[in-house]
Order: sequence, then C-alpha cells, then structure tokens
Amino acid sequence: MLVVTDLVTEFSSVKALDGITFKAKAGLITTVIGANGAGKSTLLRTISGLEKPTSGSVKWFDHELTGKSVEAIVRGGIAQVPEGHAVISQLSVAENIELGGLFRKRSHKGDLVRAKREVFELFPILFERRDQQAGSLSGGERQMLAISRALVSRPKLLLLDEPSLGLAPLIAAQIINIINELCRSTGLTVLLVEQNANTALAVADHGILLSLGKVVANLPADELIADSSLRAAYLGY
Amino acid sequence: MTSFLTAFFSGTAQGAIYALVSLGLVLVWRGAGVVNFAQMGQAMFTTYIASQLIQHDYSYWSAFVVALFSGAVLGALVDLGLMRPLTSRKNLKSLNSESMRTAIPVIASLGILGILKSLAGIFWAGEERGFPSPIEPTAIKIGSTNLAITGFDLFVIGVVFLALGLTTIFFTRTGVGLAMRASALNPEVTRLSGIKVGSVRTLGWAISGTVSSLAGLLVTPRTNLSPNTLDLLLIIGFTAAVVGGLTSLAGSVLGGFILGYVISFVSVYSAPENVFIAILIFLLLALFLRPQGILGSKEVRRV
Repeated sequence: MLVVTDLVTEFSSVKALDGITFKAKAGLITTVIGANGAGKSTLLRTISGLEKPTSGSVKWFDHELTGKSVEAIVRGGIAQVPEGHAVISQLSVAENIELGGLFRKRSHKGDLVRAKREVFELFPILFERRDQQAGSLSGGERQMLAISRALVSRPKLLLLDEPSLGLAPLIAAQIINIINELCRSTGLTVLLVEQNANTALAVADHGILLSLGKVVANLPADELIADSSLRAAYLGY
Repeated sequence: MTSFLTAFFSGTAQGAIYALVSLGLVLVWRGAGVVNFAQMGQAMFTTYIASQLIQHDYSYWSAFVVALFSGAVLGALVDLGLMRPLTSRKNLKSLNSESMRTAIPVIASLGILGILKSLAGIFWAGEERGFPSPIEPTAIKIGSTNLAITGFDLFVIGVVFLALGLTTIFFTRTGVGLAMRASALNPEVTRLSGIKVGSVRTLGWAISGTVSSLAGLLVTPRTNLSPNTLDLLLIIGFTAAVVGGLTSLAGSVLGGFILGYVISFVSVYSAPENVFIAILIFLLLALFLRPQGILGSKEVRRV
C-alpha cells in the first residue's frame, strides 16, 4: 500500500503540493484527477523522487521513500512513466526497452528476457518496430514504449502521468484498457494521473480529486463519477 | 604524386590523433555539458608520468598502460572532486542566471588546466624533453623507394583504430554503453530507469581522460613534451569536435580525420605556417555551411 501523508512540495516558495494525504491500495488502480496546475504531475514526481518534498512522508509498505534517490526508488519497485510519452527518441525501440531493465541485467538475467518477451506480447507493434528509432513512432506507440520501459523493471507500483495526453481517443482508451488488464491480471498497483477524468475513473477503483495542491475529494471511483457538483466545481464539466 | 601521398599518409596519422582529442571532448560535452579545457592538460600530466617511469627504466609498455590508467583516474577525479560539487543542485540553487551555470564548470576546467601546468612545472621543470616511441620513425620501403609513411605512423593509426573499435563496441554492444548514451540524451528518463546517471557521467570523464591520455602518448614522440606542448592539440581537437557536430561521437572522429587532412594538405601544398589560419578558415566555413556539424543532429530534445 502507498501511504502519502501531509506531503508538501514547494517551487520557490509556491506550494505545488499543500499537505496531500491519501492511500492507494495495493493491486488496485487509484486515479488522481484535477485541472491543470492542480499538482498532479508534481505529486507523481515527488513520489518518484524527481522532486524533493519540503515536508511530509511517502511510504510504500514499510519503506519511506522521501529522501531516497530516484534510482533507489526505481530499484525498489516503483516505476514512473513521465508525462509526454517520455522515451529517448534517438535510441531504438529495443534499446529503450533494454534501458528499463538494465539495472537488473546481472541479478535477474533470465527474468529480464522474460519481461522483454512479455512487453512485446502486450504491444506486438513494438516488436515489429524494435529496430526503428523511437522518435519515428506515433504518439500512441511512444506511450506504449514508455510503459514497456517501465514494465521491464518489474515494478510493483506503476506511476502513470497522463498517458492519454495528446492521443486519439480510441488509442487512449486502448492504452488505459491495457493498464487495467495488467493491474487485474498481475496484481500491479497503479497510480494514474489523468486530466481526462472519465476515461480514467471508468477503470479506477478509487479516485482522488486535487485542486491547487490540496485533496478536495477522496472517494471510490464510481462515487466520484456520480458526483456532478464536484466535477462542475473543480473540472468545469 | 609523391607530395599527394605524403599529405595523405601524414594527414591520416595526424587525423587519428585529432580524432582521439575530439572524441574525448565530445564524450564529456555530451555527458556533462562541459567543454573541458583541462583535457590536454590532463593528457600532458599523464604523459609526464609515463616519461618519468621510462626514465626510471620501466618498459615503454608498462609506462603506456600506467599513463592510460592515470588518465582514467584523473578524469574521474576532476568530475568527483570538482565538477560534481560545483554543479550540485544545492550549489546551483543560489544562482539565478542560466549562463552562469553553464560558464562555471568551463571556467573551473580552465583552473584545472592552470593547476596541472604549474604542477608539471614544479615536478618536472618547464623545459622540453623528448618522449620515446616504441617504433623508430623511419620511412617504410617498398623495394628501394621510400614511402611517405613511417612505421611509427602505422603504429599510431593502428592503435587509434583499435581504440576507436573498442569504443564503438563499448557504446553499441554493452549495457553500460547504452546507459551512457541514454544518460547523455535524456538524464531524467535514464534516472527513471534506475540508472545512476552521476556514476555514468563520472565514467564518461574517465573514458575521456583515457582517450586523451592516449593522444598525448601518441603525439609527443613527434612534438616533444613540455607543459604547453599539447595546447595546440586542444584547439585542433575542439575545432574537429565542432565540425563533427559536438554531440556525435562518430562525427567527432570524422571531424578529427578531416582536420588531419586539411592541415597536412595545406602544409604540403602551401606552407606549414599557413596551417593555423587554414584551421580557422575551415572552422568558419564549416559553421556557415553546416552549423549542426557533419553528423550533428538538429533535433530539439523532447522532454
């Protein structure tokens, strides 16, 4: 279980996160929604160690994550797929995937081969394009690649930052569905940040609504969908 | 025909050395975003170490290996002891100006150059000394005709091609090589892949130090050794790196060879004293015609 308590992250004295507290249960999908600037990306970046919080705590089961380096957090089983289909465009598709499992190459050689086979089964198009430069892929394929890079590290917790951003609705839905299936079949814990609230809440178990760095709602996903007044007030539709 | 062959062979042998210097500069530039002005100072220092060993009756090859190893250690020390603390998050936070952040490590590298030169002066006095070559620089003969290439030239070309081959295998076939390329291209995604970008960067400094140290060992039998002998080599290597596009390893090597030919053809067909101006004209032409370099990419980094 991921437990975030009173988390504060400041950027030159502006509080991007202003005392965030919530729990994300293991094996389930928790979705964080909110308008632009609500602090969604900062929340994920603070959990993964890319931003250092001013105060508060982030715990994955018994392990305190704040103060650890990004690399140590990833090696501890928490993988982030950053915003904007973050792949290394000058490297090949296969190299991008290889990169995600590189730190396990010595210790888990056999499993790494298996993990690579699994992501290619999950996204067969990436296998077809394995020798192409990642920069030549479409937006959807790049997002699949970014997810694959994270998956070969065999994460227990997957942090996804707006995976549907900039994608055609059909492709976005396809990617969200694959994440949903992955979570249900492997017990992967997912923390999904989305601006596209409906798609995200449809597959989520739990929903958290952020506004200006604060949690304004923390409800089961179906209740959050049903609450039209919350949506009107914070998401504008 | 003879002068053409002379220019061609000597251009290849010189270009091989420029390629090493240029490769060393690009390795650090890609990994750390620093133009390391101390690079040839480091090489000068490690060549002095080799020279000392040879004077104390150690074999050429043991001195050769020690110099390469010291090059790696010195490169890593520059990063760990100076560059890393200077560019740490905490240290840069107090600076508001982006240009200062870029300038600080470059100025620090000039400081290291000064320190290394002074140390070499203190330890080994300032005067020039010779540096031996393992193969006599006598011209190779076919029948009774002298070729415009010496055994030493062939040795230089062979060693450089071996080094470039090993570097290529390292970067394209090994996991650490992949991690180095990835760190240079996109540090954030690389860190999110669990790779210690800081250590990878230090390794880049170490490899750059080794490569430059090799350049020092290969050039000094011709130029002699003094604290200032390798200065010109840095300028030529830097020009080669810019011509090659600064970000491309293959481009840096190509740039080195091109510059070798430019210099040697100018000195054979025009006059050796025109070489320096020719380098500058060539650099300007390259910057006007192909500012991104021969193999440099125009692409803006996606984040």
